[in-house]
Amino acid sequence: MSKITSSSTAEYFAKNLQQVGFSSPAKAVLTTVKEAVDNSLDACEEAEILPEIFISIKKVGAGASRNTDLVEIIVEDNGPGLEADDIPKVFGEYLASSKFGRGRCSRGQQGIGISAATTWAQLTNATGVRVTSKTAKMKKALSTIVDVDIKGNKGLLKKKETVDWNKPHGLRVEFRIDGRVQLNGDGGLLTYIEGTTLVNPHLTLKYALPDQDDVDVERVSQTMPEVPPATLPHPHTMKLGEFMTHAGLFGKITLENFLKKGFSRVSDVTLKEMVKKGLKKALLDKSLTAIAETDYKSVYQLLQDVELVAPSTRSVLTVGEEGLSKSIHRLGQVDFFSVVTRKPRICDFKPVVVEVAIARFLNRPGSEGGEEPIQLLRFANRVPLQFDKGACAITRAVESVNWRSYGINQPKDSLPTGPYVFAISVTSPFIKFKNASKETIDGSEELIEEIRRALMQAGQKLSRHIRAESKAADLERKILHIEKFGPILVQGLARIIGAPKGRVAKAEEGLKKLLGRDASSAEKELEHAESQLKQLKAKQRGGGSDDEGGAEEEARPHAEEAAEQEESKSTKTPAKKKKGGGKAVMTAAAAGSDEEMA
Amino acid sequence: MAKHVVRIRELTTDIPKEAEILCEMMLSELEKAKRPVLEAIKCSLDNSLYNPKVGYLTPGDKRVKTELNVSSVQKMARTIFMLEILLGNLKSGAVNTKRELYYISKGLVRSNPHYRPLDFDDQPESDAIIDFIGDLLEVYREEMNCFANDRGGQTYSKNLVVTETLPDGDKAVVDLGSLGTTPFQPKNKPQTFKLKPKKGKIDFCLVVESEGTANTLVANGMHIRHNCIIIGAQGVPSNGVRGWCKTIEDQLAVPMYFYGDLDAYTLQNIYRTLKAGSAASLVRNADFSAPDVKFLGVLPEDVKKYDLLCYSVSEKDQAEARSLKKAKDALDNDPFFQDKKNKKLADILHWLVKEKKRCEQQAVFSVDPKDPQILEKIIVEKIKKGAYV
Repeated sequence: MSKITSSSTAEYFAKNLQQVGFSSPAKAVLTTVKEAVDNSLDACEEAEILPEIFISIKKVGAGASRNTDLVEIIVEDNGPGLEADDIPKVFGEYLASSKFGRGRCSRGQQGIGISAATTWAQLTNATGVRVTSKTAKMKKALSTIVDVDIKGNKGLLKKKETVDWNKPHGLRVEFRIDGRVQLNGDGGLLTYIEGTTLVNPHLTLKYALPDQDDVDVERVSQTMPEVPPATLPHPHTMKLGEFMTHAGLFGKITLENFLKKGFSRVSDVTLKEMVKKGLKKALLDKSLTAIAETDYKSVYQLLQDVELVAPSTRSVLTVGEEGLSKSIHRLGQVDFFSVVTRKPRICDFKPVVVEVAIARFLNRPGSEGGEEPIQLLRFANRVPLQFDKGACAITRAVESVNWRSYGINQPKDSLPTGPYVFAISVTSPFIKFKNASKETIDGSEELIEEIRRALMQAGQKLSRHIRAESKAADLERKILHIEKFGPILVQGLARIIGAPKGRVAKAEEGLKKLLGRDASSAEKELEHAESQLKQLKAKQRGGGSDDEGGAEEEARPHAEEAAEQEESKSTKTPAKKKKGGGKAVMTAAAAGSDEEMA
Repeated sequence: MAKHVVRIRELTTDIPKEAEILCEMMLSELEKAKRPVLEAIKCSLDNSLYNPKVGYLTPGDKRVKTELNVSSVQKMARTIFMLEILLGNLKSGAVNTKRELYYISKGLVRSNPHYRPLDFDDQPESDAIIDFIGDLLEVYREEMNCFANDRGGQTYSKNLVVTETLPDGDKAVVDLGSLGTTPFQPKNKPQTFKLKPKKGKIDFCLVVESEGTANTLVANGMHIRHNCIIIGAQGVPSNGVRGWCKTIEDQLAVPMYFYGDLDAYTLQNIYRTLKAGSAASLVRNADFSAPDVKFLGVLPEDVKKYDLLCYSVSEKDQAEARSLKKAKDALDNDPFFQDKKNKKLADILHWLVKEKKRCEQQAVFSVDPKDPQILEKIIVEKIKKGAYV
């Protein structure tokens, strides 16, 4: 029998880096940037500092691996900085996190990502990450290289030195890794930067990317997002193993105290209920350390059987409609947009908030009338999700909405098309991902429905803009029609019956009067649509939601409006009408027996 | 150019005069700043009536009204534009196909930028306008000198003599028995025929859905062994084939049989069109249907009797699902199949819906693969035994 050995967490991840986002050279660059920026943003928010981040990515040579470049990645922030003792833990030790299991909507959770980036640097370029850190207490900054001690799962500091840094506090990380720089596309760096900019209105971001001009994106909000306090876990969101691990954190307290202090929504009434259902009273007074595994199981099962109040939604953080409205203009020249922040809801016993921003842009693919799919930006806890789009709950929700009823083109069961950006953010302290690299949200029907509702609300708002456009186009088309076909019709009639010029002039006059009536009614419709649009814009400028009464109540009237608009579109669009007008006749003729196509 | 065009029927409508009345009405309404309204018979199944005593589908009371507005102004302008071309043809005696009319209109648009907004993107657009004019004036397109290309109707007989009166009054006599392997084919335009048997009386006329199968029967000598007429329909019968069958039925009073596939398409689109006309041609079914044609097969009973190979119709296959839907629709909406007189035909549709099978006309060749005359034998046996609907 071969010898059984155990390996450290670091060894496991060093062999399985593809599981945490390092599955290709291009993904390695993106993941490294993402992990560094996520940490910076979380640190700034924790310290209530408006973040100012600088990203620099350069190709500095050939990579050691085949078909790769040696890529230098620098991320610098104005955050609180790290104490010297914390640096090896953060960058060199797996599962060392200040955020693990805290029930907060922070970007990072487990303490894997940045250590994995250090490991990747070490594996591909034989050196870890250079970290420069300065806290408010330090006079000089500490600069050091962190390597991962893979056998021992801990960080090792090398080449420690103190350096002058003209910042009051902050952190700078420099990686040199084998990778490839991909700027565009779903998995591109620019998509990541756009997404991060959008959901962080309070962020000032400066970046320098290869073959691109340096860009400064100023913050549009001076307000720090209010990070809600962490909440205790809800028993119904845990599995047995998690329940027992959680108990391990509480030491020698009694089971009763553990249940009451270690969870939210567990009260004396809950415990009475559990006793009624068969929990031995004596067990409640026992110390956690004295409880057998089988007893843990029965306590867990009884706890699952008891009806509990749903967890609090206070722990959920939102970007907010005002912030999104301002931030969306940082992505390009916006034609029009709509934003929706839903009230926090409970989905699958977890508090969730869904936010949607939909914007139509000028000068984007599809703005020339092409049929490019919309750009879908997905976010989980304000982190862009850039891979495996098809499997994500957000994508499924977008595809399930009938966008045509809001005036947006959509092939069957697919993403809609046009020069739009759909940004959908799901925030929750307990997001369920499909994999460790957190690329796709694993969605229950309940969560998908919640996302759908947010999308439909945004679609309803958007359709007001589109309707105004459609009315304008309708008026233009009607006037054009009169000018184009009127004289031809009248002259044709006159030729067939040999009518004099006087009659022609009179008939043309009559025709103009007739069709002019149609045009004036279209003008009225246009005025109405434009006034509605103005009201909406005024509300958007005000930054508030215009439907605080709740989406469900408003959904129906809007949907009906959208449906009406759809109907009017289909009867008024020239090309469609042209064919539709003669359809009864054409269909009948085509069904006949005397087709005569050459 | 043929000045004396043969007419299909005694036309009571003076087309140029009717067209002028229509245009006069439209112009004077416009002078008064009123919206002219064009009215045409609604040519669709929901406006079709079937009376077995009449024998073909006739139009109901429904009319399609097109009122001038911003959306219909283009259609009206195109209608008047095409009407002018057709009236010009009637005046000069020129004839055209729909496709030629499409190109004529394209040519006029190209030569005069004023007409550019009227330009047709493709032929279905101009076809629809031509049909609309026919429906408006309640005339056949052939009566507006617009003819279809010839398709189907190849006819074989050893005992049929056709005398055709030509537009200039000359008569052409065609003895079908003397044509060798060449068939006689009716044109898809009005022709004046006088039919008579060379001697005695012709026993029956067989219309076969597949042109190829009709040719096989002839090549094997069926028309020599039997005193009959064999016609290949080539799918959905063209106006020429429909008119030709009516002429045979009217002038020779021979029993007429149709033989084709056992499926909804054949029953509704091919056989019903041949026997009672179509919903699309409600205004002309009187002259383009042969109400006495019997459905000889393939019948559901033949499938059982001869153990014929069938295809199962899967609802998963789009085309096949459509065919099933078509059978159900025909039972629900087609007045021809809803009439008591045609109950047995409706029963065949019920059988198709229930069994979800279809059987091709050529399946009979599987009965005795070594006998090339097997189809002929079965057809003759069925006629003798009255095994038809």
